[in-house]
Formats: sequence, C-alpha cells, structure tokens
Amino acid sequence: METVDIALPQMAVLYGIVLLPWLLLGLIGLGVSGAIATGILRMSLQLALVGVYLKTLFTLNNPWLNGLWILAMLVVADWTILKRAGLKRRYFFAATFAAVTASVLFSTAYLLLLVIRPPLYYDARYLVPLAGMILGNCLQGNVIGLERFYTALRKNENEYLTYLLLGATRREAVSPYFREAVKASINPTLAGMATLGLVSLPGMMTGQILGGGEPWLAVKYQIAIMLCIFTSTTLASILNLRLSLNIAFNEFDVLKEDIAEGG
Amino acid sequence: MPPAGSRVRDGGDGRAAGAVFIRFDRVSVSVHGKPILTDLSFALESGEKAVLRGRSGSGKSTVLKTLLGLYPLSGGGILFEDRPFDPATVQIIRRHAAYIGQEPVLGAETVREALTLPFQFKAHRDRRPSERQLIDALRRLHLAPDILERECRRVSGGEKQRIAIARALLLGKNLYLLDEVTSALDAESKGAVLEVFADPGFTVLSVAHDPDWVARCDAVLELDGGRLARILRDGNR
Repeated sequence: METVDIALPQMAVLYGIVLLPWLLLGLIGLGVSGAIATGILRMSLQLALVGVYLKTLFTLNNPWLNGLWILAMLVVADWTILKRAGLKRRYFFAATFAAVTASVLFSTAYLLLLVIRPPLYYDARYLVPLAGMILGNCLQGNVIGLERFYTALRKNENEYLTYLLLGATRREAVSPYFREAVKASINPTLAGMATLGLVSLPGMMTGQILGGGEPWLAVKYQIAIMLCIFTSTTLASILNLRLSLNIAFNEFDVLKEDIAEGG
Repeated sequence: MPPAGSRVRDGGDGRAAGAVFIRFDRVSVSVHGKPILTDLSFALESGEKAVLRGRSGSGKSTVLKTLLGLYPLSGGGILFEDRPFDPATVQIIRRHAAYIGQEPVLGAETVREALTLPFQFKAHRDRRPSERQLIDALRRLHLAPDILERECRRVSGGEKQRIAIARALLLGKNLYLLDEVTSALDAESKGAVLEVFADPGFTVLSVAHDPDWVARCDAVLELDGGRLARILRDGNR
C-alpha cells in the first residue's frame, strides 16, 4: 500500500493552517508573530536539510557514513543537553558524551543485533531512525536529570554540607538529590509508557501505519522502541550524573562556583 | 596588628603551652572574588576555648567555614595537628569537628531521625547509639526525651541548636565550631550549653557576642575587616 504524496500546491495549503493561530495570537497581543515565523521557517529548513541528508544516506548506505551521522547526532545532543541544563560545556562535555554515547549505542545495538536483526546491521533505514528516536528521548531525560540535580544541590547547599560534616562521603551526601534527579529524568518516559495508545498514538506507530505497515508490526516496533528508550534514558541519566560528580566538586567536596553557564 | 604566627596562648603566661591543635598562618580567603580574610594568623591549643568577635562582615563565620574546607585559601596556610591543609587533613578535621550555626540543618523528619542520621553513613554505621545514649545526650542539653518523636519542623530555633549539639556529642566530636550558638537560648538552656562546652576535652572556636559566653572563653580574637585587630587573653578581657 503506497502512502499518498503531498504535492507542492498542497504543501502551500498546509502552511495556510497556521494563519488562524497567527491571527488569534496577534489579536490577543501576545507579540509572538516573529517567533512563529522564525520557528516555522527554521523547522522547514532543518527538515528539508535532513531530507536531503537522509536521502543520500539511504542511497549510499555506507557503514562509515552512517556511523558519522550517528556521531554528529551524539555531538549535537551532548551540546544541547548541557546548554539546556545550564552547565558549562568545557567541564561536562566529555562526561555527558561518554554517558549518552554508551547508553544509546548499547540500546541501539541490543535492538538491532538481538531483536530486529536486519540483513545489514548498519542499514541506514533501521539504524538512523531508531538511534535518533532513542537519542532524542535520552536527551530530554538527561536535561531534566542534570538540571534538577544541580539546582537541588545549590538550593540545599547547607543541607549537603551538613551531611558532609556529619561524616557522609560525597556520594552519600548527594544521594537524596541524586535519587530525585534520576526519578525526574525517567518520569516522562514512564508516564509516556503508561498512557501510550490510550491518550495518543505514538509517532513511530503512526508513521509506520501511514507508510503502509501492518498495525501489529507497528505495535511490536513501538514496544521495542519504548523499552529501548526507557533503558537508555535510565542508563544515561545515572551514568551522566555519576560522572559529573567527579567534575562539579573541588577536592574538598564543595560544589564549584563556576560550573553553571554564565557563572 | 599582631605578628604573623601569633598564638592565642603562647605559654608566656607562666603555664606550659599544650600542643598546638590548629594554626592559621597568614591566611587569606576570597569569596566570589571579594577578600574576606587577610593575613590572619593565630593558633589554638587542644582544649582551648576561643571566641571571634567583630562587626558584621568582619569575617568571623568565614574563619570557621575555612577550617572546614568550605572556602579555598587564596594565601597562607593552616596546620591541623601539624598536618598541612590538604583534602586528607580536611577529612580528618571534619571527623573531629562539629559546626553548629544559628539555624542548624537537622536533615530529617523527626528528632530521632535527625539524631541517628549520621549513623546511616558508612563512617559511623557500626557505632549506632542506644536509646539510653540518645536520652542521655538530650538530657545533657536539658531536652526532654519526648522530643525524640517530634517533627523537626515543630522544634524551635534554640531546640534545633541543642539537638545539633546532642548529635555532635553522640558522634564523639571534640572540636566545636560554634556560630552564635547561644543566641536563641533562654537562661537555663544557655547554662546547659555552657556546661557542655566547659569540658576540658573539647576545643572550641566560636563566634559570639553573648557576654556570658565570652567570659568563659580562654581567648578573644577581635577581627576588623577580615584582619586580626588584637588578641585578648585572660586578665585583659
């Protein structure tokens, strides 16, 4: 079953749908017209570029090129995680990169090599979208985890120092904030798994069904990706926070003053 | 200004000087780039009680926190039992020392949990106090045993300070860094606290304005703008 194409004139019609919210937001004086225009323009350009890249990637299907693409995604994700978490990249880049890379590669390799087992393990058609979905969710979880952890630590610095002075090691003293941060980082994925299919149809499943796939096959892929997302988000959050503990404190176990971006 | 290395007690008063426990030697500390302590020198012998006095912002609390490794030194050095001030020594200081501030963090839901909190950590796990020891520590500070089951958010500031002291006693601390520890206490509670710290086995470095407290101290160090202005000893307080 072929998916119905959206021809260029229909694409123009599609953009017309945003005129309505644009007008409404203008009428209530929100002053976001510029932001809407920039957002739509950036999204369109970025996706167009990705379309070109993916087309090339799928055509060539070269293992090195596919690997390079994954590497580029990991670097951008690492950059984005630290920017959104408000932490200095020069301190945390290597730790975040190591944690996210190890977790995403583990989950993706598990899924591809042990579960889906495509004829070519590096097939761009499987590798790129699956790794991308796992990485995208991992990114969200790590932003939440890092941001929560260091915000809680700064807010409760006296409590943390009290634990230290009562004989706690650095790991023991941070453990209440560590647990809360890990919980916060996996909560969206856990909540998503609990309501999946009830509140909304997940993107990948919808895509497969629209692409002509069997609903049962789409369901199996969706379960596979959700389990891998959960695994990689949990692993990356724990690993990333753990590695960051070696960076964010001075030799006397006191949180460094200059770890925050702009700090 | 006293010379570098001047000591709270130097043996010149006819008594044999004890071993120097803590020595600040031309210590300078900056916080957020602003100098707080400058060229601060003094020494404290084991068992001595000293009080830091001075105007607000003169660096009194910073002296206590610096000794705990909470602020890095920008100049000078600290010796603790003749050990240089490095991460290993700071761990030793933290094992010896209790810091009790004006509003201590109890870090637990109930007073019982607050008192036993440190015994969950690996360092103290094998020394969990008995019920008798908990009650004895509370009684030393004139706190009734029924406070054990009270929620920490329902105890007063003065009770919090005494619970924090009781916790330090249970941990067997012998160096007390006290920041206005009698400020929230009534006369009776203050008497109990003064009695606890009169123990000759306890070395005390404190920040206080309370005349009763100052009268009990062996030495008074006056700070002015982060510098040691003068040291007052017995006889000229």
